[in-house]
Amino acid sequence: MAGGGGASPSCAAVAGWTVTAVLLQVVGLSMFLYGFFPVKPTLPGFSGAESYRMPSCGLAGGGEQPALPPDQLRSLYRELSEVPPVYDRLVLMVIDGLPAEFVLGRVGKPPSKEMVESMPYTQSLLAGCKATGYHAKAAPPTVTMPRLKAMVSGAIGGFLDVAFNFNTQAFLDDNLLDQLHMIGYKLVMLGDETWIKLFPKLFWRQDGVSSFYVKDTVEVDFNVSRHLESEFAAKDWNMLILHYLGLDHVGHIGGRQSVLMPQKLKEMDDVIRRVHNAVSGLEDNLDRTLLVVVSDHGMTEGGNHGGSSYEETDSLALFIGHSVQSSYCSPYDQNEALQVDLAPTLSLLFGTPIPKNNIGVVLPEVFNSLTDQQKLRTLELNSLQFLRLLQAQLPAFCFEDCINAKYGLGIDKIPQSVEKKLCHLLSKAFDSHHPSHLHQTSNVKSIEAGCNRTAVNAYYEFLRYASEWLSHRATNKPFYLLVSAISLMIVSCLSLMGIVSCLLKGKSLSQFEHHSEWNSDYHWHLDEVFIIMGIFLYVSSLGSSSFVEEEQYTWHYLTSTLYLIFLIKTTQSMLRESNSTVARAEGKIFHGNDCSYFTSCKLIPSMRDGYKLCTIIIILVSGRILRAWHQGGVNWVHFPDISKSLAQADSFVVKALQIISVLAVVVFFTPVTETKEAEYSARMIVAMQLLGLSGHFGLGNTNNLASIDVAGAFIGISSYSTVLSGILMFMITYGSPLLLYLGMVVYISVISSDDISTPHQSKWSCILDKMITLPCLLPLLINSIALTSYTIVLLLMRNHLFVWSVFSPKYLYVCAATVCTCAGVFIIAVTAVYTCTVFSFRMRNYKDKSV
Amino acid sequence: MGDEATQVSASSAVAVHALCFAGIVAAHQLSGRGMLVSNPAYALRLLVVFEAPLVIAVFSLLCRNPKRCSFLKAAARGLLGLPIGAFLNAFGAIVLGAPIGIKYWAATTYWSLLMSLFTFVPAACVFGASKVNWQAVLSHSIYCGSTDSVDYMISAPAHGAVIGAWLGAWPMPLDWERPWQEWPISVTYGSVAGHLIGMAISLALVVTHKRRGRAKAD
Repeated sequence: MAGGGGASPSCAAVAGWTVTAVLLQVVGLSMFLYGFFPVKPTLPGFSGAESYRMPSCGLAGGGEQPALPPDQLRSLYRELSEVPPVYDRLVLMVIDGLPAEFVLGRVGKPPSKEMVESMPYTQSLLAGCKATGYHAKAAPPTVTMPRLKAMVSGAIGGFLDVAFNFNTQAFLDDNLLDQLHMIGYKLVMLGDETWIKLFPKLFWRQDGVSSFYVKDTVEVDFNVSRHLESEFAAKDWNMLILHYLGLDHVGHIGGRQSVLMPQKLKEMDDVIRRVHNAVSGLEDNLDRTLLVVVSDHGMTEGGNHGGSSYEETDSLALFIGHSVQSSYCSPYDQNEALQVDLAPTLSLLFGTPIPKNNIGVVLPEVFNSLTDQQKLRTLELNSLQFLRLLQAQLPAFCFEDCINAKYGLGIDKIPQSVEKKLCHLLSKAFDSHHPSHLHQTSNVKSIEAGCNRTAVNAYYEFLRYASEWLSHRATNKPFYLLVSAISLMIVSCLSLMGIVSCLLKGKSLSQFEHHSEWNSDYHWHLDEVFIIMGIFLYVSSLGSSSFVEEEQYTWHYLTSTLYLIFLIKTTQSMLRESNSTVARAEGKIFHGNDCSYFTSCKLIPSMRDGYKLCTIIIILVSGRILRAWHQGGVNWVHFPDISKSLAQADSFVVKALQIISVLAVVVFFTPVTETKEAEYSARMIVAMQLLGLSGHFGLGNTNNLASIDVAGAFIGISSYSTVLSGILMFMITYGSPLLLYLGMVVYISVISSDDISTPHQSKWSCILDKMITLPCLLPLLINSIALTSYTIVLLLMRNHLFVWSVFSPKYLYVCAATVCTCAGVFIIAVTAVYTCTVFSFRMRNYKDKSV
Repeated sequence: MGDEATQVSASSAVAVHALCFAGIVAAHQLSGRGMLVSNPAYALRLLVVFEAPLVIAVFSLLCRNPKRCSFLKAAARGLLGLPIGAFLNAFGAIVLGAPIGIKYWAATTYWSLLMSLFTFVPAACVFGASKVNWQAVLSHSIYCGSTDSVDYMISAPAHGAVIGAWLGAWPMPLDWERPWQEWPISVTYGSVAGHLIGMAISLALVVTHKRRGRAKAD
């Protein structure tokens, strides 16, 4: 580019602009990440005795209390809480994927006749006011594990909590099961093994079933029910978890209207009848059992779940026990609750502290057996727990200040700021709960009852408001931050585009100067048009969740098409060269500059084209094999793959294939390395990058976080290290693109070795410029286009059904790909700089000696 | 070479394309509605059976050098070109991701024969072994500076069929669970549609070419 220096910008300017653009992109990306996936501060540790007292202001960290043995802890809690445990045993029956609509109907209407007939026993319990049912709204993502966590901890985890939980699936936050375990409860788990993954060491007895065989709707539930007889005979447990997966499987196969559905509901109803009979038969004052029937999420009409539609979030919470019985009830009222409300309700029913991060509100109808004062105390305990959580979220928030600020009963105007409003509601609630001595001495029953009602209402007002605010805190998105982040990324992308187009224009101009016989009307080549169109097609395909799920097809299709176009062009040039009488003369035009001409024309042009043809065909065929290696992305997992059949194949066959493949690589690539490509062009770099990306998907990666090879990340690591295993995991996942970036280094060296070895070029910066500008800029540009457009897609899709199940995991992959691109480009740049320095140093030495 | 070739008049170009179009329509009528979706191999076989004699006969008549090559010779070239073109098309399709199982064997064969009739056979009939012409058909420069209207008639429908088939494959991986997403149904629809559009474009090009040629002659 020595001659064309005038037309293209200087190397320093290019480097400066590139670095600026990349930095802008990084800033924009981190702003977007911060805004879109807010990391919710969670409180570590477990609630203890301190949770029954008013939190003090300032630093919330109270001293560690000594660990008490379970019995003492239980009596301590009972003493402090002033609310006796209502039950001794808990049977938590989780029916995976059961929409509350099947049991409780919708908007005040009872469920359809078919449903009522399918669940006769449950319906008779509801009609007889022996059970209370809620439409417990589940938060998205409506998949099993996050929902179970929400049920037992009362907290809604952020998306990143789910995503970054690779190393351990065990649940470490404060939760109901651990609290029960701490006060000496014995827990038995039968059903979905997700529970065992979450709580690996907690259960006294367990029998996990896998949810892997989705077609199985019978065995999976039989394996749970077969233990019922023996468990109810033994009665040595305090909490029994039954997790039935069959109904979810029925939904996945046939949707809500599946013919298997009534049958499955009958089976579930039968289990409820058996459990209820078993626990109520033995019931006396010493052994009171609560049966809770919940579902983790609902399902769409087609039986899927994961999104945030009403059908999916409408999950059930049904309480069957003595404390919910009442004389009057209307079972099909739309009784709304949140799924997280389960955690504080069960905690208080069983006399344990409420989990620390809970944002659920106690369900009132479940405490019918308690006195009014005790009911108020449950609300107070819930409020105290909220107060602690609020103090963690709002460090300035302090209840004592609220009291000092005198937001008494008399002030009715609603303050504007969140803190003041919370203050106001809380002090109102506490004031009406603990009235002044004047009220207490006037011992009139009616006044007290009225007081209670206002106190209950005041507490609920505070709890609802605080719960809503806390849950919004986990999911709200600052719109202006996101928009400014996206505009930064767009600016970065445009400036990269500007640099590349400037460089390409300069290059074609310089070529035009060098060879006047070059096509004077420079028009677009087919492959260049295709590359631009392909990028456009890819970007538009990102808007569809189905294409994102099956992205491997897009990449393979685009890459193969590009190589087919190369094939056509090579055939064309072969035809042209065999046509023309002066092959040599035309070959001369083909090459960029004269010194490379001599080295590259060792082989006659037709021979070289023949090699090229063979290489392209090899790439196409192996690309097709790679595609068959892992066919399915997210939806087509059941397709037959080469990798699956290899995993089942004999080890001898596998070894033979390995040897054959090694030999094939040696045979194919020995001649290829001999032919030197003198064309140093943008399309080659793009082709290599496309190859890397389709290889990424061909090696079994999908846009689903589940396909990341976690086990591989721990190979060879003697002790656990997040950084090391993270790097390993990154290298495993992005092996193919990284390999192609390293390949690009080799490619550069093949192209540029002639330039370096010729002594007359003394301006090293310009050689460097020629060597690395395009190989660095083009990957950066393509990645930047993908990143920016996908960020815009994600922002537009933020209310889409699949935003958490499809689009957000893909965004993490896009971010990782950005890191991978930056790392690859860094490797290329550093290698080139190092090589140039070494050569210039040796050249200087050589010159000195010769002088 | 232009002298004899430009004798292809606009009306004969229309006739050629109309005949090919009629073949497709007839095969479609005979197979019945929806047959391509329910039984793709059968429908494709009908299309090939109807199109093959028509295409070979029609394009053999358009042969570039009628003096040197007889109708029969051109037809023989066309017949020879049919399996070669089918092989090339099948290679392209499989490399781009067409399934290889035995289940798809018949459909893939008939589809590639049909694609060969759309793309390779006309060129084989007309050009024979002439490398210049083949190179011209492969590139897009044929639209800029061609002197011969037969070039348009061969290349535009062929390019249209290939581009149509390429675009037709896009909905295949989606999870819509429609029967037409199976290989090679949507691709066939795409290629036929592209072929027809290509025919229309080629007619338009032939007409403008004639007009320009006449204007030059005046």
